[in-house]
Amino acid sequence: MKSSTPVSHESQTLELKLAITYSDDFYEALLDAHTGLSPSESADLNARLILVMANQIAHNGILKQCIQAAKSAE
Amino acid sequence: MKTEFSASTYTNGYEFSQGTGYQLPEYPAVIPPAVQSGQTEHLRILIIGGGLTGLTLACSLAQLGVKAVLIDEDNTVGVKGASSRGICYTQKSLEIFDKLGIYDRIKAKGIEWSVGRTFAGEDEVYNFDLKAQNSFSLSQQPAFINIQQFYNEGFLVERTMALGGVELRWNNRVTAFSKEEGVANFTIETPGGSYRAQADFVIDATGSKTPFRDWLGVKVTRKQGDDRWCIADVRFNTQPPKERHTWIEAPFNDNRAVWQHLMADDVWRIDYQMAPDADPAYVSREDVVRERLARQFGQDVKVDIVWVGPYAYRSECVDRMMVDLGKSLFFFIGDSAKVVSPFGARGGNTGIADADNLAWKLAAVVHGRATPDVLASYHDERHEAATTNVQVTNRTARYLRPADGAERLFRKASISLAKKYPFARSLVNTGRMAVANAYTRSPLKAPELAQSHSVQNVGFQWVDGSQGQLNDLLRWAAGAPLLLVWGNEQGLIQPHILRQLQSLSEAAGIRVVHVCTHEGLVRSRESILDSAAALARACSVDGQGHVRDMLRSPSCQWALIRPDSYLAARGQAINGRLIHTLARLAGTRLLGAHA
Repeated sequence: MKSSTPVSHESQTLELKLAITYSDDFYEALLDAHTGLSPSESADLNARLILVMANQIAHNGILKQCIQAAKSAE
Repeated sequence: MKTEFSASTYTNGYEFSQGTGYQLPEYPAVIPPAVQSGQTEHLRILIIGGGLTGLTLACSLAQLGVKAVLIDEDNTVGVKGASSRGICYTQKSLEIFDKLGIYDRIKAKGIEWSVGRTFAGEDEVYNFDLKAQNSFSLSQQPAFINIQQFYNEGFLVERTMALGGVELRWNNRVTAFSKEEGVANFTIETPGGSYRAQADFVIDATGSKTPFRDWLGVKVTRKQGDDRWCIADVRFNTQPPKERHTWIEAPFNDNRAVWQHLMADDVWRIDYQMAPDADPAYVSREDVVRERLARQFGQDVKVDIVWVGPYAYRSECVDRMMVDLGKSLFFFIGDSAKVVSPFGARGGNTGIADADNLAWKLAAVVHGRATPDVLASYHDERHEAATTNVQVTNRTARYLRPADGAERLFRKASISLAKKYPFARSLVNTGRMAVANAYTRSPLKAPELAQSHSVQNVGFQWVDGSQGQLNDLLRWAAGAPLLLVWGNEQGLIQPHILRQLQSLSEAAGIRVVHVCTHEGLVRSRESILDSAAALARACSVDGQGHVRDMLRSPSCQWALIRPDSYLAARGQAINGRLIHTLARLAGTRLLGAHA
């Protein structure tokens, strides 16, 4: 019987090669979004941004791999 | 080898409570003959603890015609003059209470609700209506009824006494326990003296302060934080709507959480989150509570304080809910097995479901319909429910009492986003309301079934046109499995299949019902009319509310339902899958089939 719970795509692996179309474009947009913000306002913005982006990625397996990749790059 | 365990202490402790409370019933103490005779009493089934869970089990066993003894250390329900305690009863609990015969009293006394609203500051962040969800919409019972816990306990006491067969012994307290040669031995103290008892099946329903976890060497996983709350049961002259209101950050409570519910007798239950590690004595002072109520409802509000008390929560879960002592079997049910934080109503309701799960299995074993190995499924199924509920409620607790730093940061982010964007609303976690837990690893279900889910108490029509419901069929089956059979495309059951069903019914002691979708097909006594096909949908709706595998013709369709409403198997043709599942339910294995 098919499970109806969300598929976690555990078998999909993280994209570690550059996939952003114009990375300088995105990078600038990101920095501009933070311009003029205090450290705590920046932290708030980052937290909201992570959640918005997480919803775009959507799949639990990939999201957990993202967290792992970010944690292990300390 | 005789092993004595140290004496127990009283489990009730409501030191800081204030308020006029209720006048709770007092039952007469019971002094059994064994006190005088000095003989050790032998009991088949002993239930220790007469709270919500113990009483649900006692009543269920009485309903199934099984003799048992329940002992309780005091002589009342709830705690003398005290509080509402567990107030939100889920649809599944209400269905269980309906099966036991106390639902009408609960419905008359309690408050139905299905709408919940969550606020942060002045804004409503989101709302839900449980009535709209598939996993609630097919039942005769509503999504939730709020009522003070002692009402349900009182109703259970009276129903158990009316049914007979299960003896309630008040003012009987276990003071010592031993397991000599695999048999559970107890010393029980009464106002008239002590006596000794031995029991084959022991059920620990003594609650979160049970001494038995230590006495049996059962491992417990525990988690406790510094979150502190104040519970107030109050009556006012204003009438807020009959909805569950939760504030994550209430401006009238120092930007901390507030929960608000209506219960019976126009008494409101308001829970205020306090500062971490707040002093319980301060938190539950009447004057402090009055000041808080004035900030929430305005200075002019007239308030009657019924009860006030401090509250802290933790999570605990035993590693084994069934322990085989050698000869006696020991079960943990309700809070003695696991304790959860209150968000989402997964405490009392899980205990009620534990009792409903265990009762029919004990009855089957005692009545010789199943071998004792079927009892191990109680642990398999209810431990999965317990660990799931612990995980879900711990996540909510972490949201409501976030650690400083990143946890608080992300909570703030989720609230801001939820005010603007639909996707973020489900990140706001003020409690995932309890559902009947599905069993994914049960040895009793057909392996082809991904999970065994609870079939809602669906309504239908009898042959004579009057209204019936699934609970009527379960009561008629009286502890035996219930087989629902749909016909072919024409809704008919062919003669050779009818003969198979008849001999199966006799051989396996099951009850068979023909579910018809057209009036013209309803012929036999064991036929019911379900023109809305609600039963088929209920057998297909899983715990997440998804309708799966809608039953379709052409060949004969069936669904096998356990006495606790859980689906054990379903299929197209009357064949091996049905036979093997029936064998599982009887605790035996046919033809070498494996679990």
